[in-house]
Amino acid sequence: MFGMSDPLVGFWLPLVFFCLAIGFWLTDRKDPRKNLAKPVLVLSIALVVIFGTSTRGEDTSETALLAVFLHMLIPVAFMAIGTLIATFSGPSPVGPLPRGLRPMGFAMAFSGLLWIAWMLISEPPSAIANGIGQTIWGAWVDTFLSVLILIAALAGAFCVMMGDERHKEALTLGALTIAGGAMFYEIMQNGSEGLSASGWHSIHWEQLMFLIGGLLGMVAAGISFIALVYMAEKRAPDPDVVPPLSEEEKSVVEAVLRSNLSLLEGEE
Amino acid sequence: MTETKDAWWGPVALLMVLLAIGMDLLVWQLSGGVEFSNIVEQMVLGFILAFGGTSLALLMVSIGSAHQHSHWKEQIVGLFLLAGLGLSLAHSQFNGSFAEMREGGVILLSGLTAMLAAIGLTTGLLLALVTGREYATDPLLEMESTGGDVVIELNE
Repeated sequence: MFGMSDPLVGFWLPLVFFCLAIGFWLTDRKDPRKNLAKPVLVLSIALVVIFGTSTRGEDTSETALLAVFLHMLIPVAFMAIGTLIATFSGPSPVGPLPRGLRPMGFAMAFSGLLWIAWMLISEPPSAIANGIGQTIWGAWVDTFLSVLILIAALAGAFCVMMGDERHKEALTLGALTIAGGAMFYEIMQNGSEGLSASGWHSIHWEQLMFLIGGLLGMVAAGISFIALVYMAEKRAPDPDVVPPLSEEEKSVVEAVLRSNLSLLEGEE
Repeated sequence: MTETKDAWWGPVALLMVLLAIGMDLLVWQLSGGVEFSNIVEQMVLGFILAFGGTSLALLMVSIGSAHQHSHWKEQIVGLFLLAGLGLSLAHSQFNGSFAEMREGGVILLSGLTAMLAAIGLTTGLLLALVTGREYATDPLLEMESTGGDVVIELNE
């Protein structure tokens, strides 16, 4: 009835397992469930990989999403590794990498960024070029560009506001904002390879607004969770009042204190 | 200090809001406009589905990490009810189509990963840029402890 090519088994069940693995990982180290975290995580990854290999991009929306991840994995990883190398090969006190690697890190980061930019406007692979795959890919690109513009502007303003004459940093991030804005304008004005401008408009008004609502929904669920924990803790009974020490207990405490104090005096 | 913080965050927040509105106005102008009710409808759909999905994810994490000293009953029952409410509402909003719900969930995951990638890469670049300066060592760090022996010289 349910095979490995079924998205319920191959995609959504691993997500449930992933959440369970996080829960197991959060338990105390003496708890036997702590040992289950890694096997359950590996099982969930294995299920997703089997599902991805046994289906094609056009089959289901879940496979198309995996195709989007695979499509962007290498350039995003390239840029992320580049920024890490640049950061840890700088004059930072936690920089164990040789200083000479810093230019290479920046070269990797910026070439990764250019690679991502090229992939965003070039024709996507066939798995995400039509139907629901195209919608998922379009939503990814529109969200990525919108958030990139906003966060790069925020980071550039942060550099200006933090003082210390960080003009070069602010200019770099300002240029990133402008480049992101130019790409956004280009796809909305003329479309991209494989998707017309009206298609991008549709994605912006439908999928991006859906995502903004989704973001608010996630925040609301997080607040509800905190409220539940607060209510549970508030309803918890107060601990029992501990009676004061009896005379016998007091004498024991005094004897212990005296012996320890005399030991200390003897050491001095 | 409070005045400084207000002055700090005010313009930055305003810049971001203006940019977000500017992008929407640009698309509005290029697309020739869109029904406002459609935008609200999409946002409500996304809200309900994400609320139910996130509650379900938190329920799974809570089940995995429940222990005898925590008040897990309230937490798990509450999350179960929230997830059930959110997902059943989403089911009715998606006209009872489970396939459409799945597509909505996939779109949410796609947008979430795009958002995380953009935030991670930009803040990574910011971190790489701002860690490039060398500063003079703080003289306080070079001082050695006297082990509590302090001599104070008073000028008469």
